[in-house]
Amino acid sequence: MKIVLLGMNHKTAPLELRERLSIACDDERGTVRDVKNIPHIKEAFCVSTCNRVEVLVHTDDVNSAVARLKNLIYSLGNLTVKEMAACLYTYRDEDAVRHLFKVASGIDSLIMGEPQILGQVKEAYRLCVEEKVTGVILNKLLHHAFRTAKRVRTETAISANAVSVGYAAVELSKKIFGSLEEKSVLLVGAGEMAELAARHLVERGVNEFTVINRTYDKALRLAGEFRGKAAPFDVLEEQLGKSDIVISSTGAPGFIIDRTMIEKALRRRKNRLLFLIDIALPRDINPDAGEIDNVYLYNIDDLQNIADRNLKNRREEADKARRIIDEEVGNFQRWHATLQVVPTIIELRSKIDDITKGEFTRSISWMRELREEERFHIEALVQSVINKILHLPVTNLKEISENGGSDQYVAVVRELFGLEKDRHLK
Amino acid sequence: MVAILFKCALAAYLASTAIYAASLAVRRIAVAKAATWVLMSAFALHTIFIAFRWVETGQSPVISSSEAVSFVAWAIVGLYLAFQIRTKTRVLGAFVAPIALILVIGSSADIVDNFRTPEMLNTSWVTIHVILSLAGGAFFALACVSAFIYLVQDKYLKKRKIDSMSRFLPPLRDLDRINHISVIWGFMLLTAGIVAGVVWARTVWGTELQGDPKQVATLVSWLMCALLVHQRLAIGWKGKKAAFLSIGAFVFLLFAFVGVNLLFATVHSF
Repeated sequence: MKIVLLGMNHKTAPLELRERLSIACDDERGTVRDVKNIPHIKEAFCVSTCNRVEVLVHTDDVNSAVARLKNLIYSLGNLTVKEMAACLYTYRDEDAVRHLFKVASGIDSLIMGEPQILGQVKEAYRLCVEEKVTGVILNKLLHHAFRTAKRVRTETAISANAVSVGYAAVELSKKIFGSLEEKSVLLVGAGEMAELAARHLVERGVNEFTVINRTYDKALRLAGEFRGKAAPFDVLEEQLGKSDIVISSTGAPGFIIDRTMIEKALRRRKNRLLFLIDIALPRDINPDAGEIDNVYLYNIDDLQNIADRNLKNRREEADKARRIIDEEVGNFQRWHATLQVVPTIIELRSKIDDITKGEFTRSISWMRELREEERFHIEALVQSVINKILHLPVTNLKEISENGGSDQYVAVVRELFGLEKDRHLK
Repeated sequence: MVAILFKCALAAYLASTAIYAASLAVRRIAVAKAATWVLMSAFALHTIFIAFRWVETGQSPVISSSEAVSFVAWAIVGLYLAFQIRTKTRVLGAFVAPIALILVIGSSADIVDNFRTPEMLNTSWVTIHVILSLAGGAFFALACVSAFIYLVQDKYLKKRKIDSMSRFLPPLRDLDRINHISVIWGFMLLTAGIVAGVVWARTVWGTELQGDPKQVATLVSWLMCALLVHQRLAIGWKGKKAAFLSIGAFVFLLFAFVGVNLLFATVHSF
């Protein structure tokens, strides 16, 4: 196949090392051009994120390409040979394809199943296409990777369900309220985690956002950030009655919201459902408030438990995803096998024979009126035109294949004459 | 022709129930979606069946008990599908489809018999009375189903146990809304149905109430429904309490519709 993938990720390389390489690769267009300029490398693709750097190439001389690629990475990342040896992995052919599919599907990600990586791979691919460094083989391979990622996402639950506290809060809000539009959120106090949860909710389109803080300035700043309102601390009770989702994370030493406050708030909001999220440590909301009907109280541990369990589920789903990936690797290999010259020539011939036969059948009505000799001459003429046209491309294809590296030509021929489509039809 | 339509509708209800059951087992929305489509086709077949029968017999197709049961099934499914368009509450169908299936099987017992409407009942007042009351009942059945699922989902969320089942069930607020709308519409239709019945009874029997067990049971359940509507609209009951009360109201209503005919001799049995 002659496809090679070199790279390092969060499992093999420490952050500091990945950083160095990632900074060096900052000029993505330049890097990928450098890679492509290495002799014997016919096509190249690079993707670098904060968690990984991957270089994928199609080459006609694997050993020399790998050696030169490694040299390039040494010099780019300013790495020692020892560091390199420890961090860099090299996959060839089938393994390279499988690794790429895994990366695109998010199975290889730090947080398993996170969908971001697919977008990053797509963006990197777009750059490579613009730089014209990819060709028939890598184009096909990358598209295959995108399709595999899509299959993994739709056929397994690997990207489903929240695996962070913030998203768990969003997920629960949806289970309670359905749509989050026209819902109001109250943020009491400000902690990093609470802010994050609030941000997720705002992204999901909640309508109203109010921040209450003991220091009013802080409330104002946060409210500005979320395009919400700020309110002083002494209207807390009143605000509780107006909000559907309350996120509390103050540094108060004891409970600041108790059962009676919630009961009052519930009366004020005519028993509409109320979702309380207590992310503070020590807790802000007295747990007995959660016993009231139509009130759902979750603290940081509850949310963390949900996130942890979901992560466990994702790991279980990974097995399913791996099976899909194996299947798709097989599909790609089958496609690749068609790139051999002889079968393609045979297919091309038989396709053109089919066309000729078809045309003769269509013309049968008027040809019947000719004399047999005339008919024979017409058939011979057509055949000879076809042979003349096919002669040069076929001999050239054979010649190129004897020198190695005919894959791209074969792929182009198959594409141009629609042999790919025919294969699928059959 | 009519019998074939009925059998097709029955088969479609059966298929839909089976697919919904499968969706509950695997907890995949895609499966429930397929079941909804099958249910829709079952509903279409059922609609054509009822229309055909109406035209064929020339009498309103809701008077005999089997026809009434089939009509209730049709109404419940129709209402559910209407709600389904507005909210993402597919899973409700997993309860609606089997209910419809059981009702349709029950109605099949003597559906092809040539039921002749007694002369006394062959007036539009009776048709209106029956259609309104049964449609009201269908609304309450839907309210009961959504209340039941609400209570299950509430239990999951209160216990902070989020697993594949609670993820599969619809959001609380959507369920509560369906319950709310169903209760109010059901109550209005039921009230109108009872009024129509009273008007008819007066013209035939000369008096509105004979203290007939069916009438008493219906009145009791009507009062419960009235209480529920009042609590919801005036007091602002939502969620759990309203769910419990609407299940109770439906049980009473079911008793008035079906139970009374089985247990008591009543002038209301035809």
